[in-house]
Amino acid sequence: MKKSTYLAILSLVSFFSLAEPRYYELRVDGLACPYCAYGIEKKLKSLQGMDRNTINIKLNEGLVIFVADTEAAITEPELKGLIDDAGFTLKQYKVQAYYEK
Amino acid sequence: MNSYKNWLSFFLATLALAAQSVLAHDPVFGLGSHTLFKGGVELHLGTHMDPSGVSSLSPEFSVKYGITSNWAVGASLSYDHKSGTQKASSLFSKYRFWRVDSFKEQESAALFTKIILKGERADHVSQRTGNDYLLGLSYGYEGRKWYRWAAIRHRLNSDTNSGLKRPGVWLVDLVGGIRFVPTGYHEPDWVWMLELNGEKTERINRPSGIRIGGQQWFLSPGLMWTHRNFAVKSGIQVSLFDDFHQDQNPDNYRLKVELEWHL
Repeated sequence: MKKSTYLAILSLVSFFSLAEPRYYELRVDGLACPYCAYGIEKKLKSLQGMDRNTINIKLNEGLVIFVADTEAAITEPELKGLIDDAGFTLKQYKVQAYYEK
Repeated sequence: MNSYKNWLSFFLATLALAAQSVLAHDPVFGLGSHTLFKGGVELHLGTHMDPSGVSSLSPEFSVKYGITSNWAVGASLSYDHKSGTQKASSLFSKYRFWRVDSFKEQESAALFTKIILKGERADHVSQRTGNDYLLGLSYGYEGRKWYRWAAIRHRLNSDTNSGLKRPGVWLVDLVGGIRFVPTGYHEPDWVWMLELNGEKTERINRPSGIRIGGQQWFLSPGLMWTHRNFAVKSGIQVSLFDDFHQDQNPDNYRLKVELEWHL
C-alpha cells in the first residue's frame, strides 16, 4: 500500500476518533553515524501512536521526521529526553497537524 | 581436505572476535569513546589471531547493556580454539563523561575499566594469583566524513601462582578515519580507518635469565561496515618497530574480525 494512501486512511480513521496524526520534524545534533542513529529509531518505535512506517532519519540534514497519531501532541521535553536517551541532543522541535503538511 | 573442512567449519561456526569492548564507531584495535543507547543491548562475536601466542586463534563472545546513554557495562568470554576450553572471562564498564553534539558532529571522552577475572588458562601461562585490571581514557570525534580518536590504556597484571611477576602494559592509540560517501540511514555505511598502536610492556628479568618486556608499534588499517543495527569490523596490525629482547617472539602482525548487533 502506498504511504500516501495509508496516511489518508489513517487520517480518515482519526477524524472519527480523538487522536490526530501530527507531523514532527526534529533537528538533532550529534547525528554523524547511521549505526549510532539506530538508538533513535528504537526509542521512537516505543512511543504510543507512533507510525513506524514514517520514521525518517536524514543524517545528511541532521533531521528526524515522523508521524504519530495521539490525542495530544508529543511534547518537546518528552522528545528531548528520548533523543538524549538515544545519545544525541534535540536542537529544534516542530510539530504540525498532518493535514496542514 | 579434512583439516581444511574442520578449520572452515570452526570458523563459520564460531566467527567470534576477541572483543576489546568496542562499541559503535570505535577503532578496530584501539579504544573509542562511544557507549550505547539507554536500554540497548549489544551482542558481540569476534576472533583475533596473534601468531606469537600458543593459541593463535581466540574467539570471544560478549554482551553489553546501556544503563544510560553515557554508561555501558558488559561481560565477555574468550575461548581457546585448540582445546575448546574457556580462556578468560571479564567484566567491563565504559562511562562517557563528556559529550558535545553539534550539527552532524559529535565529540566525546570516556573512561573505560575492565576486570579480567582470575580463571583457568588453556595455554602454557601459569594460573594467576588474582584478577588483571585494565584502565583506559579515550577521546573521539565523529563527523559525516572524518573520524579521529586518541586513547591511552594501562593493564595491571597479577602475579603467577608460582610467584613470577607479570609485567604491566601501557597502550597508546592514535586513529584517523574517513567515510568517503556519506550514505543515508538505511544504506550500508563504510568507514575506513588507519591506526597507530603502541604497546610498552614493563621490562622484567626472570630468575631463569630470560628477559621480557619492551615496546612495539603497529600500523593498522581497518574497516567498519555497518547497516542499520549490524556491524562488521576488521583490521590488521602490522608491526613497524619493536625493541624486545631476542628471548621473546613478538607478533609481526595480528588480525581481527568482529560482528556486532544492536538490539
